[in-house]
Amino acid sequence: MSTIAHDHPAGLGDHHAHDDHAHHPSGITRWLTTTNHKDIGTMYLWFSFAMFLVGGTMAMIIRAELFQPGLQIVDPEFFNSMTTLHGLIMVFGAIMPAAVGFANWQIPLMIGAPDMAFARMNNWSFWLLPPAAILLVTSLFVPGGAASGGWTMYPPLTIQAGMGMDLTIFAVHILGASSIMGSINIITTILNLRAPGMTLMRMPLFCWTWLITAYLLIAVMPVLAGAVTMLLTDRHFGTTFFNAAGGGDPVLFQHVFWFFGHPEVYIIILPAFGIVSQIIPTFARKPLFGYASMVYATAGIAILSFIVWAHHMFTTGMPTAGILFFMYATMLIAVPTGVKVFNWLATMWRGSMTFETPMLFAIGFLFLFTLGGFTGLVLSIMPVDVQAQDTYYVVAHFHYVMVAGSLFAFFGGAYYWIPKWSGTMYNETLAKVHFWSSLISFNVTFFPMHFLGLAGMPRRIPDYAQQFADWNMIASIGAFWFGASQLLFLYSMVQCARGKGEKAPARPWDGATTLEWTLPSPAPYHTFETPPAVK
Amino acid sequence: MVTSPRASDGPAPKADPAARLRASNRRIALTLAAIAAVFFVGIIASKLVGDPRIGIGVLGGAVLLYLLVAIGRNLRDRR
Repeated sequence: MSTIAHDHPAGLGDHHAHDDHAHHPSGITRWLTTTNHKDIGTMYLWFSFAMFLVGGTMAMIIRAELFQPGLQIVDPEFFNSMTTLHGLIMVFGAIMPAAVGFANWQIPLMIGAPDMAFARMNNWSFWLLPPAAILLVTSLFVPGGAASGGWTMYPPLTIQAGMGMDLTIFAVHILGASSIMGSINIITTILNLRAPGMTLMRMPLFCWTWLITAYLLIAVMPVLAGAVTMLLTDRHFGTTFFNAAGGGDPVLFQHVFWFFGHPEVYIIILPAFGIVSQIIPTFARKPLFGYASMVYATAGIAILSFIVWAHHMFTTGMPTAGILFFMYATMLIAVPTGVKVFNWLATMWRGSMTFETPMLFAIGFLFLFTLGGFTGLVLSIMPVDVQAQDTYYVVAHFHYVMVAGSLFAFFGGAYYWIPKWSGTMYNETLAKVHFWSSLISFNVTFFPMHFLGLAGMPRRIPDYAQQFADWNMIASIGAFWFGASQLLFLYSMVQCARGKGEKAPARPWDGATTLEWTLPSPAPYHTFETPPAVK
Repeated sequence: MVTSPRASDGPAPKADPAARLRASNRRIALTLAAIAAVFFVGIIASKLVGDPRIGIGVLGGAVLLYLLVAIGRNLRDRR
């Protein structure tokens, strides 16, 4: 790490002792009215895990239906609703809020700020999420059922869909507003509330990745909101933005959606990069290799992510020049991503490595995200993409990026920081069982999907031809196993939250050098009211 | 917030660092909110005004420009 905390101002220790008895409302009032970044971070993280379980349950329904050929458990319309809601809930309800939860907890602690810049807005950003989640889930129970056109909400299907689609559109609006408010808060906090001496190029990389992610969110969320607003007016107010019958262009929606959608992938993965960039140096006991190049690579990925969107649309038909541009631009993203992977490996090279659970998840992330990135590179080649379009190869690719990428990094981050958050060490044996069980079951679930996709099995179908039966059965077994494994994580975190376990010291990881580890564990309710000195 | 002047403090003097910080926070927030609003209105307006391809091209360019300026400023900032 490039940031090293030096001596605290005199009396800081006493101040922390006082903070342990910080006055705040108790019970539900505390959580409804809190403006404390730690409380709000905790709520984000629990909310995201709850949504992860909801989205995961939908995944179990999908895999149960696909366990063998034929229709056996749900009807096709409900199956389509499950695939749609699974995607929306996992992206907007689970992964993004989890990343914001990490940001809320960690950014003020890492830059030596007392709280987020707009503490009340922070509370509001969080409390917008439950209504959005309720809209999404209750859409299952309205006439016509939930949205079933896929998480990409392509017209004309979504223009014709029932009332569930309206609830989904409102949910996306609310989630977008929450994300924009959260991003404004994060950018302002990082730019204005850093401790003296904490220059931008000394910030922990997690803060850098979040700063850039927040800029991305402000650029893309309004575009998505605009697109779904046009969808809404097409549905109810007689406009024809995307309705070919009135002179509109359904393909235009795809362009606008993926202009949001591709940067969204990086919005999800960049905070994960940041977490891994904190964990690897800690357990390799070496500073992060090539800090500046990591920052520039993150910026490069963010900017490139805006000029590659049409690789999701190679089969819609576009000029050859356009195809070539989007193909090569997509391949170009491998360069800054490769810089990151190289730097993580170079950080580990000749380090005094130990393999506690956070490090295991970081290494698991490194292998599997690289594999997911590599299959992305394969899909960027237009002639291959045309063959693999809308097959299980694509499903495998993005689950290697989203699950083994983001989710594994978030698990690693949770194990890494839970001693600081709760003051209790997690159960290392249980956590390692969680890691190995997740790693193996993840690959059992998603690796066969590459074969299924290459053999031509289309995605978003509840039934399939007999020749796909074996790999589907294996994938379903892996999915149930992966789902069950996450209960170990839930148990570990609940035990830590209840204080059941070994008491955590202020700095449980001897290689950790960032500011949060100078605080006692658990971190006091109010921290850094006197800015720390950073040299 | 970092520090908030007590109610009895009365109007903060211009040089008060806390007041300057709050003003700076507000400035950043309003600028970013305005950018988000422009992108939201812009994507709809691009379909309504003239050739949508030009409108969307202009908006896409504006988004890229915003990113280059925002991230580029921070990369150059040595404070």
